[in-house]
Formats: sequence, structure tokens, C-alpha cells
Amino acid sequence: MVMSDIVRFFDRFTFILLLFIVALGAFLVFSASFSSGNNYLMKHLVKIIISLILFFIMLSFKTETAFRWSFLLYIFLVAVLIIQLFTGKIISGTKSWIKMGFLSIQVSEFIKIPVALLLAQFFSKVSVLGWGSFIKMTTFVLIPFVLIALQPDMGTAFILLSFILISVLLKRIKFSIIIFSLIVLIAGSFVMWNYMLKPYQKDRIISFVNPGKYSKSSGYQIIQSKIAFGSGGLSGKGYLKGSQSQYKFLPTRHTDFIASVLGEEFGYLGVSFLLLLFFIFFYRQFNLNVRSDEEFYFIFLFNGLILFQFLINILMITGLFPVLGIPLPFVSYGGSSMLAFFIGEGLIFKMKLNNFIQHE
Amino acid sequence: MYTEKRKISRDEESKIVFIVNIILIVIFVFLLFSFWNLQILKNEHYKFLSSRNIIKDIEIKAPRGFITDKNGVVLAENRLSFDLFVIRDYIADMDRTINEAVKLTGLNEETINNRIDKYRKFPGSYNIPLKRNLSFKNVIYIESRSDDFPEFRIEQEPARFYPFGKIASHIIGYLSEISQNEYMGLKEKGYKLGDMAGRSGIEKTYEKFLKGKHGVKTVIKDNLGQIHNIIDIEEPKIGDTVSLTIDIALQQYIEELYGDYNGAAGVVDLKTGGMLAMVSKPNFDPGFFSESFKKEEWNNLINDDSKPLNNRFIQGLYSPGSTFKIVMAIAGLSENIINTNSGVTCYGSAKVYDRVFHCWNRLGHGWMNLQEAIQNSCNIFFYQLGKKIDIDVIAKYGEYFGLKEKTLIDIPHEKTGILPTRKWKRKNYNQDWYPGETISVAIGGGMITVTPAQILAMISTVALRGKRPKFHLFKNNKRDKKILKEYTPEFYSVNIEKRIFENVIKGLFMGVNEEGTGRGARVEGLNVCGKTGTQLILSLENPNYKKLVKQRRFTPHSWFVSFAPRENPEYAVMVFVENGGDAGKIAAPMAGKIYRRIFGYE
Repeated sequence: MVMSDIVRFFDRFTFILLLFIVALGAFLVFSASFSSGNNYLMKHLVKIIISLILFFIMLSFKTETAFRWSFLLYIFLVAVLIIQLFTGKIISGTKSWIKMGFLSIQVSEFIKIPVALLLAQFFSKVSVLGWGSFIKMTTFVLIPFVLIALQPDMGTAFILLSFILISVLLKRIKFSIIIFSLIVLIAGSFVMWNYMLKPYQKDRIISFVNPGKYSKSSGYQIIQSKIAFGSGGLSGKGYLKGSQSQYKFLPTRHTDFIASVLGEEFGYLGVSFLLLLFFIFFYRQFNLNVRSDEEFYFIFLFNGLILFQFLINILMITGLFPVLGIPLPFVSYGGSSMLAFFIGEGLIFKMKLNNFIQHE
Repeated sequence: MYTEKRKISRDEESKIVFIVNIILIVIFVFLLFSFWNLQILKNEHYKFLSSRNIIKDIEIKAPRGFITDKNGVVLAENRLSFDLFVIRDYIADMDRTINEAVKLTGLNEETINNRIDKYRKFPGSYNIPLKRNLSFKNVIYIESRSDDFPEFRIEQEPARFYPFGKIASHIIGYLSEISQNEYMGLKEKGYKLGDMAGRSGIEKTYEKFLKGKHGVKTVIKDNLGQIHNIIDIEEPKIGDTVSLTIDIALQQYIEELYGDYNGAAGVVDLKTGGMLAMVSKPNFDPGFFSESFKKEEWNNLINDDSKPLNNRFIQGLYSPGSTFKIVMAIAGLSENIINTNSGVTCYGSAKVYDRVFHCWNRLGHGWMNLQEAIQNSCNIFFYQLGKKIDIDVIAKYGEYFGLKEKTLIDIPHEKTGILPTRKWKRKNYNQDWYPGETISVAIGGGMITVTPAQILAMISTVALRGKRPKFHLFKNNKRDKKILKEYTPEFYSVNIEKRIFENVIKGLFMGVNEEGTGRGARVEGLNVCGKTGTQLILSLENPNYKKLVKQRRFTPHSWFVSFAPRENPEYAVMVFVENGGDAGKIAAPMAGKIYRRIFGYE
């Protein structure tokens, strides 16, 4: 593929849309860290630039190569996750960080890519998900899920489960498997609740049901986030003028609760604008032609995961879903998530190019 | 070539894309609606919550009004003190906070828990006082750890200060923090939990003047309680200055006269009823109560054997002793039982109703008329009078002189003594009155008891020849140097002939100026009139009297009641010394010194 082709067929519209979302995010990260005196913006911009570089590297990558190496990459990252479990230092309550020079990297964010690649390949080989293939598929997801959950990072682990959810949409599945899965899900949550969840995680779920009861823990976060949103009104309190954000009532406002800053400072109009950007982005990323099944599945799996994470984050910060520490894709401060999503999108943009170029 | 790779049919693909598009639309429409609900429909609610988050009202405590003596000398003022508070909102771990509080305050866990609990109905942002008047060292220590313990806060607040320490403590009274129950009744009057209120003395009586009005500072605070902005400020208003009739220099002089004796003394301005001095010994440190939350320290003070909190002047109940002979004499004359020529020969003892009663002078006074009997405080004369007068008549005259009621001096918790009558004895003992008991009452013993204040009221009535002044300590209250209320003197009148008073007063004059029992109070050039009273604790008939009486607790109480000058009297002075011994040797000379001081005869 030559450079001129890339320039010609590159989906500039969606890319610019994405840049808009990222720019809005940087704008909000600045506001979120404004009063605390930490300059998160510079670090955030550095991460955006690295992400964009990786994005363009992906464009020059052969899609087939990515698929071919996906299994090895998967094994490698799983191995890193295992090593991390035994040797990792605990940073902010989890072992999910790896220090690499000046960058801290969350491996758990990157494993989304090989899992999506593997599943896409796998889906293109089977027509109907029977017991055998279902178990195989679930295993691909559950290995990293368990490893990440043990770190413990329930949020990131939980997002991986979206792959199983999406597979129901993409593949015909035996009815008995769905029934069985539901039973396992119910039994599993029972076991989790009683034996696996840490008290603070239970608190989060309880406080989701009854936020007033835990006004200092996660219930407090939900309440403060809703206050931030709700007090924003139609047009917001103005940039850098949100009292919830600037007087630090809003928790982890530069990461998980970044959209609350938007809601408070730019109001319903600001939030609607972001929703519109995301809607067009998702619409364009789902409505496209690709040349192969595996690319098709990859696009739906990976974009589906982004949509899922986007939805859970928005629901969480408006009190419609329990607090799970997950960032808003492309917007929140957080390098690993940004990097992983841009790498994945790089592959997807490349797949879009493939289609045009093959047509000629 | 690439199409061969595809196994999914076009139909299948469009079906998936279609479903995904529907899901997308559903999700985004749902989000738009739920944000509409949150941001537009419930906007007012959340706006309110958001402003409540950051906008906090902070109490600015009003300094209490000053208390001054008649010359404007400050008896109670305010000094800034560093007080330690805890704020519930910033407590992350209650156990950790309490452990730290124990270290910082020296209070025990239970006390701290109780204090925090007391404020449970207040907003979490309220400053709960833990300890007042921190040392500077403690202040620095706590401030240096404010990052670790954001829940502890040090504020400077006005604290009561009494420059004269223990002097006049019973007049000034003391403050202590209001309780939760009191708060319920007081919150409408602008009180907050943690506020101090007067508990006794002037601090209590004139609480409403002294209180002042708290101010409010409306501020913007962040989630750690850091103040970012002051939006509005309503300055506190200091309470009124309350001026007293007390002369603190005189008060201090009298208190020091007592040395290590206990007792009570009062000096009243007979033209107004205003008290120049009002002493009760032992005294106490009034500052103690506003600082301490420690139960043990309170108990120590309350259970002290010498009862320092007891204001003996208005609460101490004692036999009036020979001072009561004044009332007896006036009663006898008014009822025409005796006249100025009546006389009795004193042989040192007399048999009355088949019982031998002694005079204090075992050798006997010889023949005495009324005035001489007063001058020498002859018991025998009054025993004979007691034989001829009914107890109910005595009570009637006692009542005329204010011995049945409170003097209504303007500090709380005043008591009244017992002025016995037949009815009273029937009611309290279910017994008849025995005439022999009247004989004891006739010399101020037996069942009769009085407070030193009542005895001062009695002698004041004699001094003013039948006008009894209402005692008071309040002179006026001022706000911004303007007098708001000035005391107007009040007197009660007794309908007794002036001639009778003059007769008795002659005896009182002789008692001081003509080698009587009260000669120790004599002041050259000032016609002091007075009467001693030496009230035995032990009966003279006690076989070990001579030995036991040397012990302080068996030594008689000493009274001296007086006024001066004889004509147009200006001041009445009452001195009472617990276990002081012979009144002529202790109480009367003290009164003499007081007169010299007041009239400048030094």
C-alpha cells in the first residue's frame, strides 16, 4: 500500500471526530486538575501524541500480521499479567501498573487488543457457537478476566466480559448455552458476593442501591457526581467555574468522573455535544465495508467494547450503575487506556483502508 | 479474491449492523433523556445541593459583655483563647480520631465520645469544642499535623477572663457550657451548642445583657474545609457592660481581712440598697468552669468540705445569736412588754421554767436597763423578756425586719432561714411549742436560723428607722457607652414608732462607743452603732467545754452587725466569721477596719 492511497482513502471525517473527542478530553483534564495544582494536562498531551504515533504506525501495518501475531501477543500479555500478580507493586490499591521509565503502563488495558483479534479469527472459523467453541471462546476471555480481577481491578476485568455479550449478537449460539450461561452468571454472582468481593466492592454495590447510606465512600462519589451534573443545568457554570470540580467535591474527576466536569461546567448542551460526537463516531465505525470476516468481527468486537465501556462509565457517573473504576474512552486522563484504544482504532482505520484498496 | 474470504452473507451482515444501529440509537436517546432529567428537570434540586456543599455558615462567637465595679474597674472580660475543635465531616476513621483526641486533650475516650455525640443533631460541618485554652505548644503541634488530621481545627475564640481571680467570685459567678437539654430551650434565643451560659452570680442573673449576639460568616469551602472566599459577614455584637455597685478595692480588702477564716460579710449603701461588698469565704476560681470538661475536677470542687461554691452570704444558714436581741428589744418595746426603764439584775445565771440558763458573763452584769442590756449583750435580760413574749409575736417582728423572706438581692439561689412559730413547729415536728424554746430564741439560739444577708437586712432596717432597702448589685448596663437601664432604689416600710428605734439604737451606740461588747468596731469621729453575736457551737453545760472550744470546729461563730453614722446613716456593715470565737475580738474589729476604709480614716 502506498502513502498516497493512505492519504486518499483514509477516513478523515471519523479521525477528525476522534480528535475532537480527544481535544475535548484534554480541555476537561485541564479543568479537572486546575484547582489541585497538578499539571495533568502536559502528561495527558504527551500520552495523546504517543497514542497518535502508534495509531499511524498501525496504519502502515499489515492487518494479516496483526492477526498472525495475536496469539503470541496474547500469551505474552497473559504471562506478564501472571508475573505481575506475583511481583507487582501495589499502586493505588492494585498491581495493574508496570513502571517503564517515566511511563506507567497498565497491561490489562492492552490485552483487549489480542483478545479481540483472537476472537475475531475464531468467529470467522466457526459458523454456530456450540458447546465446544463457546467454552474455547469463554476461556480466551476468562483467563485475562480472572488475572485482572485478582490484581484487583474489577472495572477493567468487567469490561472484558463485554466480548461475550457481543458474541451473542455476532454469532448464533445454541439456546442451551444461553440458559446455562444465565445459570452460571447467577450462581457466579452469588459466589462472588459471598466469597470473592472485598468489603469496599460490596460497599460500592450497596451504595449504588442506596447512595445516602455511604456518604463518605462510593455513595459519596455518586452523590457528588450527580450534584455536579444536575447543578450544571442547561448551559453549565462555565469553564473552570464548576464548584463541584474546582472545590474538589468531585472524586477522581480527571479520570473516571471526567464527564461530570463537562456536565457541571458546560451543562446539558455540553454533554449533548459530546454524546453527538460519540454517536457519529460509533455510527461510522459500525457502518462500513470490510473485506474479510475476521476484520468484520474485530471491528464489532473492539468498537463494541469501547461502546460498552463508554456506556458503563456514563451510567456509573450518573448513578445508574455501580461504581467501577473505568475511564471514559478517549476522554479521561490515563495513558494505557488511551494508547490501547488508539492502537485498536489504528487497526480498524487500516481495515477500512484495506477495503478501498482491494476494490481498485 | 477478498470476497471469497467472506462466509457471512450480506443479509446476515446487514442484520447485525441494523441491530447495532438500533442499539446505538436506543442508548443515545436514553442518555439524552436521562441527562435531561438530571440536568434540566432536577436542576434546582442539585443546584441547591451544590451550593450547600460549598457555602457554609460559620459562627462568629460574640464576646460576652464586661462586668465592672462601681468605678468602672473591670471584673470580667474576654481574652482570645486557642480552642480545639473536631469536625465530624472530615473524620475518616473514628477510632483514629478519638485516639488522637485523647493524646491532644488528655481527656478520656468516653468523655470525647460523649462530646461528639452531644452534637449529633448538628450538621457534620459544625465545630465541636473539645478543649479550651490550649497551650501554645499544643497549638503548634496540632497545626503542624493538619494534613494528617483535617478533622481537628483550632480556632481563636473569646474566652472569659476574670482579672481579680478568686476575688468577688460569688458575686461574679461562673459560666459553663450549656447542655443538650438546655439547648433545646435556648436555641430560639440565639444560643448554639458549645456556648457558655452564666450559672451563678451576676453572670447568671444578667445573662441576657451579657450574652451578646453571635455573628455569621458565610464562606465558600472546599471538600477539605479550606476556606476560599468570604461571601458575607455579619459581625458579632458584644454583650452589654454590666456595672455593679461593688467597690472591688473594698471587696478585696475585706476578703483579705478574713485570712484563713471562712464566713460572710456585706456592706450596703443605705441610700440605695446597693452592695459595696459582698463576701463569702472561701471563694473559688470562676475561670475554672469555663475551661474544664473534666468530671473529676468538678466533683473535687463540689465535694470540697469547706464548700467554696456555697455563697454563705445568701445561702449559709446560721443562728443569729445575740444580734437577734435587737429584734427582741424592738418587739418588747412595741408590744409594751417592756419600756425603757425596765430593768433586770443579772447574776450570771437565772432559773427560767425550772431550768438554769447562763449569761455569757458568769460573774453577772448586775442591774441593767434595756440599753445597757443591749450594750453588754446580757442574756438574762432577754431570758426575762422571752418569758413574757409569745413566739408568734417574735416571729411577727422578725418578719418586719425581713428575716422570713429573701433579701431579693439580684443573684440567684438565695435561701431563707427559719423563723419559728407554733404553726411551723406543728407542721414540721408535729409538736406543740414549748415556752422554754422561746427562751433560747430570745437570745438568737434554738430553732431560729438566718442567712447573713437577712441579718444585714435587719440591721439596715434598724439603721433607717423602719425602712428596709432592697439589696442589689446591679448599677446599670451600657451598650456602646450608653446607659440602657439604671437601677432605681426600692424600700419596704415597717410601721414601728421612730422613738422605739432611737431607744434601741442608743443601746447599739453604747455597745460600740461606751465599753460595750462591740467596742472593737469603734472609729474615732464616726458614730458606729452595732451589736455583736457570739453563737456557741457547744453548750456551756458541756463538761469538756473548755477543752473542746479550743478546736477550730467547736469555736463559736462570730457576728457583728452595724451601721454608721448614727444619724443619717450611710452604710450598714455585717461581718460573720465561722468559728471566729469571741465576736467582740474578731468580727467587731473587722467591721471597724471596714468603716475606716470606707470613710477614709486610715
